[in-house]
Amino acid sequence: MFWKALKKSLYHPNKVKSLNKGHLLFALSLPCFYWRCKVQFLINLHCPCQMSEGAMAVVKPEMKSYIWLQTADGSIQQVEEEVAMFCPMICREVIQTGTGSSKNYAISLPQRVNPAILGLILDYCRFHQVPGRSNKERKTFDEKFIRMDTKRLCELTSAADSLQLKPLVDLTSRALARIIEGKTPEEIRETFHLPDDLTEEEKLEPLRNITDDPRIRLLNRLYARKRKELKEREKLKNVEVEEERVDDRSVDDLLSFINGGDGVINRFVLLHEMHDLHSACHDGEGNNGLLASASTSSKLQDSAAVTFSPKLDFDDVDIDDDLDPAMKEELDREVEDFARRLNSVWPERMQELFQGRKLVPINLNGNSSMSRYTSTSRFLSQVSFILVWTRDNEPMLDKLFLKMVSSSSGLEKMLMQELAAVKS
Amino acid sequence: MELDEISNLPGHVVDQILSQLSIREAVRTSVLSSKWRYKWATLPNLVFDNECYSFSSLDQTVVKSKLVNIVDHVLLLHNGPIYKFKLSHRDLQGISDIDRWILHLSRHSIQEFILEIWKGQRYKMPSCLFSCQHLIHLELFNCLLKPPSTFKGFKSLKSLDLQHVTLGQAVFENLISSCPLLERLTLMNFDGFTYLNIEAPNLQFFDIGGVFNDISFENAFQLAVVSIGLYDKRQSHANSSNLLKFFVHLPHIRRLEIQSYFLKYLSIGFVPGKLPNPCFNLNYLSVRINFNDVDEVLTALCILRSSPNLQELEVLARPEEQAAVGTVINIKEDNNWSCHQLRLVKILGISGIKPELNFINLLLSTSPGLEKMTVKPATNNGGWELLKDLLRFRRASVQAEIIYMDP
Repeated sequence: MFWKALKKSLYHPNKVKSLNKGHLLFALSLPCFYWRCKVQFLINLHCPCQMSEGAMAVVKPEMKSYIWLQTADGSIQQVEEEVAMFCPMICREVIQTGTGSSKNYAISLPQRVNPAILGLILDYCRFHQVPGRSNKERKTFDEKFIRMDTKRLCELTSAADSLQLKPLVDLTSRALARIIEGKTPEEIRETFHLPDDLTEEEKLEPLRNITDDPRIRLLNRLYARKRKELKEREKLKNVEVEEERVDDRSVDDLLSFINGGDGVINRFVLLHEMHDLHSACHDGEGNNGLLASASTSSKLQDSAAVTFSPKLDFDDVDIDDDLDPAMKEELDREVEDFARRLNSVWPERMQELFQGRKLVPINLNGNSSMSRYTSTSRFLSQVSFILVWTRDNEPMLDKLFLKMVSSSSGLEKMLMQELAAVKS
Repeated sequence: MELDEISNLPGHVVDQILSQLSIREAVRTSVLSSKWRYKWATLPNLVFDNECYSFSSLDQTVVKSKLVNIVDHVLLLHNGPIYKFKLSHRDLQGISDIDRWILHLSRHSIQEFILEIWKGQRYKMPSCLFSCQHLIHLELFNCLLKPPSTFKGFKSLKSLDLQHVTLGQAVFENLISSCPLLERLTLMNFDGFTYLNIEAPNLQFFDIGGVFNDISFENAFQLAVVSIGLYDKRQSHANSSNLLKFFVHLPHIRRLEIQSYFLKYLSIGFVPGKLPNPCFNLNYLSVRINFNDVDEVLTALCILRSSPNLQELEVLARPEEQAAVGTVINIKEDNNWSCHQLRLVKILGISGIKPELNFINLLLSTSPGLEKMTVKPATNNGGWELLKDLLRFRRASVQAEIIYMDP
């Protein structure tokens, strides 16, 4: 009768309430650890504190129950029973298979739990299994507990998950989320030692609008900067332009001005080149040249898109938002770099120009459309760089262009376009 | 060599981590490394609210296109079941793209759907919403519901929250009665229906605030928490007793809040001294009462007498109506009645008129277990007199603390 009731209650603790204290005490004195453990569990279910103390007093006052745990590396340790039973997985193992009672029958823990992490988990369990703690105390403990390096945090998450200790998994995953929050991808990679193994294309597609795309942002910033600079120069220039509405100085005057100014050889070469090519284009230009120049101009737009910033659609508004300071700094540096490169490329360009004059003979007869094509495209690409440089340094020169090429319809149109774009 | 630990965490743990970030940050993790490229795509909960994107321009077309872009992107790239979808952005108006998204969700066994249209007129819910048979929680704000005739109810719906919605009378009744598992019902500021006949056998929580003519429950044996606010003080004539009709179907009620003008509604018709079936489980009662109205006071007393296990009482006085000096309520000292379990009383917004004082006196003398009574008047006028009166009242409980709070 008693045994039946005991068995029934052990398997269906909530259903049978006929067991009384005496029965349970007797059951506790059983030598079999397994049964004693189960009864202890039952006692804890029915009447948490009082009963167990009294019951323990009957059994052996000085001995606490321990459970033996074995980690994947083979090391075995013993843990106080109530602490270990806080983990659902260990609890289940004890009840279902009866292991953990002695050193030889230690419960083998999942592979993800190593001894150091086990220590941390047991600290957590040891604190939280005490029922009398207030919520505030628990929260304070959690806050302190979670302070560790990210590597250990990840290991702890993994181990807690394998032991099915849900409160600890919640705590650690929240902490990891807080670490990820607000960081740039580079920072996150560094924190968690993630390999940067995506190609640039993969990084861009297909989440262009959602992720922070560094390349597009860089270009946008570049455009914005150039535009701003242009605007500033525009403002400065407008003051002068007001006064000189009609500029009917002769070409020669302008030339002499340029030559006599700084005496920079750059400008002289430029003019010379322009002059030569202008005359070349002028001779037998016709339709071919126009077509060729038209196609190259479109090509030029693409390749020189960076320099000419005109038609690209971008919001001035959200250029600088959502960039954290580190990213901003980096982008600033890149922009400076780019600007410097633009400016420094001029001396090289100059060399090319010199060589260009020798290597690519200007075919005055206009026989070879190829060479004309090449020369026109080269001319245009050089023009682009020239424009950028001169825009920054010599506002007068665009007027000069106009004067010089005023007679050539095709080229003029093109150059007018470019100039308009640059000015805007 | 440092090991990359976080990428090897099990999928559900990574989901848990990512779901604690905003959708924007979660999607950004796709550029971290090749392993992380699609980790976010299995997130079960998608929340698009004010944190997901802050719009710098208030131009509606810009906002619309960006938000639509984001939601489209995420939905298209998402892989796997979507359990929860919340769309609640303050700049969102009712746009037709929402229909498309709901259709997509209905194909992905959505379980929780929350839609809040902050601006603009009521948004008409598409018919595909009514084919989401896996829905457990539905929350709508500023919407219009018109289900198709083939709608047979949400068979799994447990929680329904409709605020600022429009639905027809028949639609409402059909909706409630065809959701057999419904446990929680919240209705605020609704229009289109005025008779509330709630037939929900599993209903446990009921919260309503709006304008209605009549309310009754059927088979509400599980109903434990009820909060009702009637925002309109027009009375409609009822033949029988509203009070009796209301309480007859609420045997197991635990918490009751009577707000706005609902007590006035309850006081229409015959008000007995005590309900035929006492509310044994009622342990919290909050009543908004107009002490100048005799009927309301009697109704409140009736409820009090019928709640032997009441532990907490909150009384909110409504002082706006002028004191009707004529009627003085004689509250009979009924020795059969005492609130044995009453521990906590809060009385707010009183102005020191006679009916109020009588009421407090009655409470003090019939609650032997009272621990704390908090009294907070509406204004400072007559506060001194009120205090003097309070001091005089006999108290049945030796431990009673009377705390007077400044308004």
